[in-house]
Amino acid sequence: MHVPFLWYTMMFGLACCWVLFSGCERQDEVHREQIVALGTIVEINLWGVDKERAHRATAAVADEFSRLHQRWHAWEPSTLTVINDRLRKGQSITIDEESKALLSQAKALSLASESLFNPAIGELIALWGFHSDDAPSGPPPDPTTLEAFVSKSITMKGLIFENDTVRSIDPSLQLDLGGFAKGHAVDVAIAQLREMGIKNAIVNAGGDLRAIGRKGNRPWRIGVRDPRSNGIIVSVETHDDESVFTSGDYERYHEYQGKRYHHIIDPRNGYPARGSTSVTVIHRDAATADAAATALFIAGPEHWQSIAEKMGVEYVMLIDQNDTAFLSAAMAERIRFEVEPPPRTVVQLL
Amino acid sequence: MVVMDVTSTKPLRTNKEDYLIAWLTALAISVHIIEAAFPSPLPGVKPGLANVVTVAALILFGWGTAAWVGFLRVLVGSLLVGTFLSPTFALSLAGATASIAVLGIAKALPGVVFGPVGYCVLAAMAHMAAQFGAAYVLFIPHQGLFSLLPVLMTAALVFGLVSGFITKSAITYINDRKA
Amino acid sequence: MTKADAVVVFLALSLLLLLYSRYWIGTNAGETARILIPGEPEIEIPLEQDREYTIKGTLGESKIAVNAGRIRFVNSPCTTKQCVLSGWLQNSGAFAACLPNRISLLVAGKALRFDTINF
Repeated sequence: MHVPFLWYTMMFGLACCWVLFSGCERQDEVHREQIVALGTIVEINLWGVDKERAHRATAAVADEFSRLHQRWHAWEPSTLTVINDRLRKGQSITIDEESKALLSQAKALSLASESLFNPAIGELIALWGFHSDDAPSGPPPDPTTLEAFVSKSITMKGLIFENDTVRSIDPSLQLDLGGFAKGHAVDVAIAQLREMGIKNAIVNAGGDLRAIGRKGNRPWRIGVRDPRSNGIIVSVETHDDESVFTSGDYERYHEYQGKRYHHIIDPRNGYPARGSTSVTVIHRDAATADAAATALFIAGPEHWQSIAEKMGVEYVMLIDQNDTAFLSAAMAERIRFEVEPPPRTVVQLL
Repeated sequence: MVVMDVTSTKPLRTNKEDYLIAWLTALAISVHIIEAAFPSPLPGVKPGLANVVTVAALILFGWGTAAWVGFLRVLVGSLLVGTFLSPTFALSLAGATASIAVLGIAKALPGVVFGPVGYCVLAAMAHMAAQFGAAYVLFIPHQGLFSLLPVLMTAALVFGLVSGFITKSAITYINDRKA
Repeated sequence: MTKADAVVVFLALSLLLLLYSRYWIGTNAGETARILIPGEPEIEIPLEQDREYTIKGTLGESKIAVNAGRIRFVNSPCTTKQCVLSGWLQNSGAFAACLPNRISLLVAGKALRFDTINF
């Protein structure tokens, strides 16, 4: 046999090995780490970051989350409960830039949602017993109490910003940012990761997430859980920088005498919103996605389109109580159903 | 493809060679079309039996002719099957490009002499690998796809061997006819 | 067949051997589930062996059972027992969590198809 021939053989063999084993390494480049924050499990996925740096980044996000938790917690002593105390007394309170930015963002989103996303109804949420780590028990609030509260039509319009102070026009206006604080925290975490030079990441806070960049040569792939089966109902690939938020009636609820009262309260009647089972929203920033998911859940299958339009949200999937999936046309192009057979779907233009 | 060389002093011999090229191209297209009906776990990914013709052209007429036959086959074949510029076309083109490139390299290697079987196996493996790569990158970027790769490459080897022996007997037959 | 042909066939066969060992053996070992505990490495458990696992969380011990390729929370020291109510999990991507006890389960399947789960 010729000498060059053996040489080629070896080269070919080496090339094969290289192709196979380089493929091998590539799969392990996601660093996934869980932290406990915001009263939930936060999962952070980082791609293309070495272990050491990934671990440091996760720890930094964990610190930031615990700071935000202490700031915006709705019932444990926090900056927010201090603000609420002063609002209840009818006093104005000086707030820092960070608080002002968040509260004005909440106000703007609330107004855009026609007050369906309403962080001013802390009192109503407390009436239902959701200001507690445990699931509420006992009978639901008395209808006349609810009626009395609803008749006051408390909205974020009543929260007035003057220079660096804030006050309210009604002592019943109590702030409860609810899930919105989570959306905000996810945005902050992503900004923090970017500052550290991380370009490919997912921050998933208890199921709601924002993803930036890609997983190597492909987009991040998100599975949206089916509340009924625990399986995956749809999958979606994120483009560049997107948040995926879902509001569902299965997340937290108050059970009494076999009847379930979920935690998404319709501010118009004081009762858990009816009509929707879950709403999934894709939007660039997590805060908007979070507020929109709540607002569209309350809007229900008949009114979600107009609210989505007002909030500037393009990608929406609403599943109603008959398991029909209502999709915005843009959303229909993005998702893939992962259940056989797929649910009955209605595609609607915004 | 059948062009009469009117200035030739030996018109009969030239006709015979042209006839062979036309026959090869037509055959390649037929095989391509038959292959299009082949069941495959990955739609559009084919074993590359049409390489028989490319390899025969390589041995009989050189790499240039083989490349022409290979690319023309993909183009005309897809026009006939109706997959021109479709995903299947992209896969065919990827396969043909890879196998023609590998054949070019194999032929150019100094000190190594391949027979039809070697060429066909190389071409079939390159064909399949490129189609798989194209399918993965362009259409189904899913890790799960890789579990199909061993089966597909086994098929490529088997078809490569089969087409190698077909090519070998075809060339012997053609050379006998020539002589 | 020339010598070169023989070597090509031999190399092709060894490539196939590599491919089979790389993509079939190991990935075919079966479905697995991941037990996720914040701040600790993931625990990967096979779903082929029927058995019970006891996992220590923040509140106490959660019992997890594997049966016929499925996995579930059998008991957990939480008040709502939502994790137990989630029932059996089987399909890739299926998920259940006991948030109070900080333990979650994720069926990984042969190759986990999703990078993360939205709910």
